[in-house]
Order: sequence, then structure tokens, then C-alpha cells
Amino acid sequence: MKLLNCPINGTRPLSEFIFGGEYRVAPDQDSCSDAQWAAYVHNRNGSPGDKKEWWYHSPSGTWFIAERNTLTDKVSRTYLLSNANLNPALESAQ
Amino acid sequence: MQGFDVNKQGFDVNKIVQVSPTAHAQSAEITQWQIVNDMKIAVGFEGADIEKYRKKVLGVTDVSCLARYGVKGPQAAQWLADHEIAIPANSNSWTMCDQKTLVMRLGSSEFLLEDQWGGGACKQLAADSSRQANVYKVARADAAFILSGSAVLNLLSELCAIDLSEQSLSSKEVVMTQVAGISATVLRQTIAGEPVYRLWCDGTYGAYMWQVLLDIAVELGGGAVGLAQYQN
Repeated sequence: MKLLNCPINGTRPLSEFIFGGEYRVAPDQDSCSDAQWAAYVHNRNGSPGDKKEWWYHSPSGTWFIAERNTLTDKVSRTYLLSNANLNPALESAQ
Repeated sequence: MQGFDVNKQGFDVNKIVQVSPTAHAQSAEITQWQIVNDMKIAVGFEGADIEKYRKKVLGVTDVSCLARYGVKGPQAAQWLADHEIAIPANSNSWTMCDQKTLVMRLGSSEFLLEDQWGGGACKQLAADSSRQANVYKVARADAAFILSGSAVLNLLSELCAIDLSEQSLSSKEVVMTQVAGISATVLRQTIAGEPVYRLWCDGTYGAYMWQVLLDIAVELGGGAVGLAQYQN
């Protein structure tokens, strides 16, 4: 059984979670170019590696961030966005 | 165009009696119904002696009729405190407040309250129509159950991936997990001196949950227990 750690509810089976997509920071829509905005809306980074992702613990309605290597499927840490101590290496990779 | 007059239909919403969300699964075997808290619910099945025995082995009781109140928001904790309702200090825990009402803290800023027998906090809160910023009422339509008896952990281990034994689930802890494949809230409680498990799920799954719980309970030597076994 695959397990994932919810920051509020603890370690639970993966079947209790729903994947919410990669966590992405939107460019400033007042100052960015059309090309930058179009890239944000339409393009996704599909290459395997360390990613920050939204995950949802459905029984409790908790959205949180998981840092996961999409090549090895190893989750290094999970946290609430409000408590985010964002990984600079992942930030710069985006 | 002629107006639509609901009174001519002989239809009065105030006279509608809500039916327990599990009733659809029970109707074939029910022996006794009663209206409790404006909800039609099963209070007896096979007779008191049989149900007392089931209660000790593995009893499943529908208590969906207990009044519930949900509230959430950044100011929800303060709002409950203003209404003199004691709240649990930590997330995912519960307490019994002075009004004989179970107060569950779901996450940090969401609460579910349930009046126990003789409890009154939910009715008191429901009567308060005032509005306050950052306090949001959450409409509740839960199916609620009491699971009792010596074999209850065998039933739960068939339906839930989490270890809910006494060693793992502390006495004041609330667990939000999946039971029988659907989202549910579980805790351990003592009712009239007897340790039981409480389970809540969305009311639309009530009949399904009742059927699943009962199928396993019967296999393990227990069965349905009417609400009357807890009313006194």
C-alpha cells in the first residue's frame, strides 16, 4: 500500500488523496507579456524530476503541497501552503 | 398569467417529516419507527433482549436524528466561545461541552457539534440568526452511527485502513478517513459507561453504509440495534 503524509491528519493510504496538479506561481498579470501569460496558461513542465504538487486529503478536505520526485515517485516532504517554507532549489527550477 | 398558489396543493413544508438517511436500507426489517428530533428513525428491530445481546457482541445503531450544527471560518472558535461552548484545544480532537453536546474540531477552524441525549447547544446555535464576519455555518446532512460491542474492531479492520484500536486512537481524537471506501469521521466515545465507536458520513451514503456495516456485523454475530437501546 502506498502511503502519503497529510500535514494535518498524518500518514494515510494514497487512496484517500487526490492529485491536484503541479504547484505553479502565476506571473504578475499586470506586468507580464502576452507570451509569458500564454506560457503559464498553456504550457506544462512534463520532464521528470523534483516537483511541488497540490494534493488533497478528501475525507478532511485538506489541500496541501507535496514535494515529489516524479521519476522515482519519492515524496520528500509535505506541508500546508500557509506554512510554506518553499524549497529554493525547486523555486529556481520553475 | 395566473399565480401559483402552493396552499391549493395541500402541501405544507412544515409538516414534512424528515426520514433517516439510512431508512431506505432498513425498511424491509424495521419493526418499530419513531419520530425523534423531527426525524423518522428506527428505534427497535427484533426485541429488547436480542438487541441487548447484539449490543454486547457487535451492534450497529442509526443515530442520524441527533441534532447537529457545523460552523467554520477564522472566527468560528471565538464565536463558539462567545456562546459559552467549550471547544477542543487541538485540531482533530473532541470534547463534551457543558450543554451535553459533542464538539469536534475538524482541522483548525472547522467544528461539528452534535447534541447528545439531553443536549441543547445545537438547537441554541441554530436559533441564533445573527451573522458575523468570518463565521460560516456548514449545513450538515450526516448519517450517524454507534458501533458497539466486543467485535467492533474486527468490523472496523475490514472497512478501514487505519488502526483504530485503543492503543492507536487516543480517547479524545477525531479521525477523518475512509470507511468502506467513502469519507467518514470516526471517534471513540463512552456512552452510559460503555465504550463505543461513533461514525459519521454524508447522508447520501447512509443506506449504503448501513448495509455494509450490517452485513459484516451479522457475519460476526451481531446485528442492528434500535435507537431505543440508547434513549434511556
